Amino acid sequence: MERPLPNRRQMRIGIVLALALTCVAEPAGSGQATPTRHAVPPAPIAARGAAKEQTLSTRVVAYQIDARLDTAKHTIAATETLRYKNLTGQPQKTFPFHLYLNAFQPQSTFMTEEHRDNPDIDWKPEHFGAITISHLEVTGVGDLTNEMRFIQPDDHNAADRTVMQIELPRAVPAGAEVEFKIAFNDKLPEVVARTGYLRDFYMVGQWFPKVGVWWKGAWNCHQFHNTTEFFADFGTFDVNVTLPQNEIVGAGGDLVASMNNSDGTKTLTFHSEDVHDFSWGASPSFTDVEDSWTGSAGTVKLHVLMSPGNLASAPRYIQVLKGTLALYDQWIGPYPYDRLTVIDPPHGGYQAGGMEYPTLITADTYWFMPKGALLPELVTQHEFGHQYWYGMVATNEFEEAWLDEGINSYMETKGMDALYGKYTSEFNFPFLQMGEDDSQRFSYLQKPDTDPITRFAWRFYDGDAYGAITYGKTATVLLTLEKIIGEETLRHALHTYFMRYRYTHPTGEDFIKTVEEVSGKDLRWYFDQAITGTQMLDYKILDAHSDALEWDQPEIAWKDAGHYRTYVTVQRKGDFVFPIDVKVTFDDKQSVTEHWDGGERWVRYVYDRKSQLVSAEIDPDHQVWLDRDLFNNSYIVKADSRATKKLSNILGFVSEWMAQLLAWLA
Amino acid sequence: MADATPRTFFSGASLVWNRQRVLWLIYVVNFVLAYFATRGTNERIAAILDHSLAADQLVHGFNLGAASSLAINPEFPFGGSVSASLLGATLFTIFTIFATGGILATYYSGQRLHAGGFFEACGHHFWRFVRLTIYLLIVLIPVFILGGIAHHVYDRIDKQSISPMPAVHFLEAAIVVLLLLPICIRVWFDMAQVIAVAEDERRMHRALRRAAALLRHNFFSLYWLYLRVSLIAWIVFAAGLHIWMTHLRPESILAPFLLSQFLIIFWQACRLWQRASECIWYREHQRAIAVSAPTYDPPPAISQEPLAAPTV
Repeated sequence: MERPLPNRRQMRIGIVLALALTCVAEPAGSGQATPTRHAVPPAPIAARGAAKEQTLSTRVVAYQIDARLDTAKHTIAATETLRYKNLTGQPQKTFPFHLYLNAFQPQSTFMTEEHRDNPDIDWKPEHFGAITISHLEVTGVGDLTNEMRFIQPDDHNAADRTVMQIELPRAVPAGAEVEFKIAFNDKLPEVVARTGYLRDFYMVGQWFPKVGVWWKGAWNCHQFHNTTEFFADFGTFDVNVTLPQNEIVGAGGDLVASMNNSDGTKTLTFHSEDVHDFSWGASPSFTDVEDSWTGSAGTVKLHVLMSPGNLASAPRYIQVLKGTLALYDQWIGPYPYDRLTVIDPPHGGYQAGGMEYPTLITADTYWFMPKGALLPELVTQHEFGHQYWYGMVATNEFEEAWLDEGINSYMETKGMDALYGKYTSEFNFPFLQMGEDDSQRFSYLQKPDTDPITRFAWRFYDGDAYGAITYGKTATVLLTLEKIIGEETLRHALHTYFMRYRYTHPTGEDFIKTVEEVSGKDLRWYFDQAITGTQMLDYKILDAHSDALEWDQPEIAWKDAGHYRTYVTVQRKGDFVFPIDVKVTFDDKQSVTEHWDGGERWVRYVYDRKSQLVSAEIDPDHQVWLDRDLFNNSYIVKADSRATKKLSNILGFVSEWMAQLLAWLA
Repeated sequence: MADATPRTFFSGASLVWNRQRVLWLIYVVNFVLAYFATRGTNERIAAILDHSLAADQLVHGFNLGAASSLAINPEFPFGGSVSASLLGATLFTIFTIFATGGILATYYSGQRLHAGGFFEACGHHFWRFVRLTIYLLIVLIPVFILGGIAHHVYDRIDKQSISPMPAVHFLEAAIVVLLLLPICIRVWFDMAQVIAVAEDERRMHRALRRAAALLRHNFFSLYWLYLRVSLIAWIVFAAGLHIWMTHLRPESILAPFLLSQFLIIFWQACRLWQRASECIWYREHQRAIAVSAPTYDPPPAISQEPLAAPTV
């Protein structure tokens, strides 16, 4: 999903805008990519799959869609043929379908939840969208249009029409195929929650009736909520899109044919396989910037469709894409598709930005983007990462969103740090820096303990809690896991998890077992607290000081022949039990590192030495990112007030200047 | 008729320089109020950072992650510091209203006022200037409305335009207008304050009327007199911030402090420069009228008797 949580996004935008006043934008067109303005050229059909006999995925669905976009009415009239292969192992009579666009209707569950979380949001009529099925028949059975009924498996909200169910008169035997023929109409909203139009721009996602997933012995077809995303089966997509000839289109498939029609339209034919969704975007104002990257699975064509005013960001998109492709290829596994399309939404269209679909992502930038604000890179890398976790591993984003968003956010920290520096991978200005690790941790600290990570996405306390915990906390949990099993081992575990479960729908349990297997460690104690629990982790140096050992003999000159007893008391303030290291440093430059299992509420270390205490520090390697308060993790005897003075100066200056501005009225 | 000649402009600067005690008084009050407004926060920051190794991230560079963590630290009441600063700013504004009478009396008389005379003028004009401030807030309401309209138009252009640039250009133009318009109002009220002091005008609406007439007949000279000092203030302020952010070592404490305080003092000096220039301009204007008129009845003089109280 659009990675930035509401709070992080707002913070970033605020910072970017503030910084924009003082910084210089990156010059345009400095990359090697070539901007052109024409339709995305055809690419070979399934270039790497042409000779293969085995498909990459178990293909359950085969969609054929003919769609016609009406740019005046912002509607799509389409027919869909879905061949569904019954691999459920049992006869099936009932088939649920997602009708996601109906979420943008008043009183829908999505809208109700949006209003619950953000009562002041201004929903205008143009933000409403819908999908209407005008005809549904099953080959060999006949017209079943009147048999459709809406179901609400999550909240029984009768006004919600995001899931439709059809019951066939007779069951489809196990292993057999059933063919649905559906005629439907989309009314696209003005861009909202990833989909819709804005002026001449279209982002068409989650736009066709999509069958649910048979998973864990039952149909899994949840309603569309304000925090949930998507879950679907793998298969093939053959899509014809008819639209005005001046439109430049980017889609999650290979363009295999393009035909101009006599009515001023053109029909583009796309094919995609071993994916579980198909989306597309169009605008006559796009500039197509092309490039390519070659990895272990062959060459990937890169198409970046830039909106007006944003072209300066194109080289930044390309650079981060190539870097991220290389890192994932090296760390996680091959990128098996021959294409990747990036759609850069136009100004004001950020609701369409930061979203992932198979082989197509949407990015996010502004006309003025200082070089030191790495927002375009960050969003692009995050959305690309979804190609692996959402796109290929394809976990259930309704029920276990952390497996996609959380792991992806962790990988984002690793990728951004590798490409842009550990402490400068989000903001890199001479006067201000921020790394992705810190950013994820800060996100987690916004609402750290309202819900466990494993909660179903729509059952979180609110959207902010969902964001903080699913993205930020999971990333922070995995960063902290590095302390237990090591960064390399965790990377190897992720590689194993990906290679083993790609094109399937694994669960959280599969992930945990893989990590335990690769690391050779029982990690239940950790995951039980970090993933399924809500305990907070917070360790503190409660007390640290040295006393003269011969305190009752004042005639002894301590400085010359003194012996000291040093006390260091460490407290576990939170309920999260985690083994930690404590480094105690003395003024003879010697240090001692203690290991504490954290079992008790506190522990005291006592040392009798000729030297006095200089400092005591919990987690000296700075690996326990989950710790809520890092400032109380250490104690230095000799106060260092430089940071305080620096902040005091800034606060005082701001306060003085604010007073000056207000006094202008006097 | 008086004109905003370079002489007036530089005379204003010279007057501020020669009556430095006014500047230092304003600066010290501003500094002390800011100090007390931020003291509580600083003490809490010190309690968290001074004995923590994690504070190092804020010394060598400025790690926004560490600063953000500090801001949401349960022991760090960030909200409290904002309200304390707002209170300090409000108190400083009240003080400025109070001090304006003394400042203008000092600058208009062209002579050094003793502390007694200065504060007498402050008290004498305080409630008049409170009323003027209320009028100013009322007059600024249309500017705020205009700002709202500009925002609305910006949104509309932004929404309709394929490229973001038309809206950006409109915004740039709107910002310029919305900055220049309040300056016009400020000059008007500045002149009303000068008239109130110079003529000992009790009725502020009459002072405003006379100032409006003055402004109408001498708009460009008065406006330019004010604007060029403002431009100097903004340019120096921006340059100072740039130097602070990019050229000073992150670890240094003294240099940023000195630079920040220089910027504050310079900002205040520029405001006083505007005041002084306006006073000189008005004095010259009155002299010009006196020369051209056959009879001249001088305005009530401000007491310049030396007092025993310490000088300001």
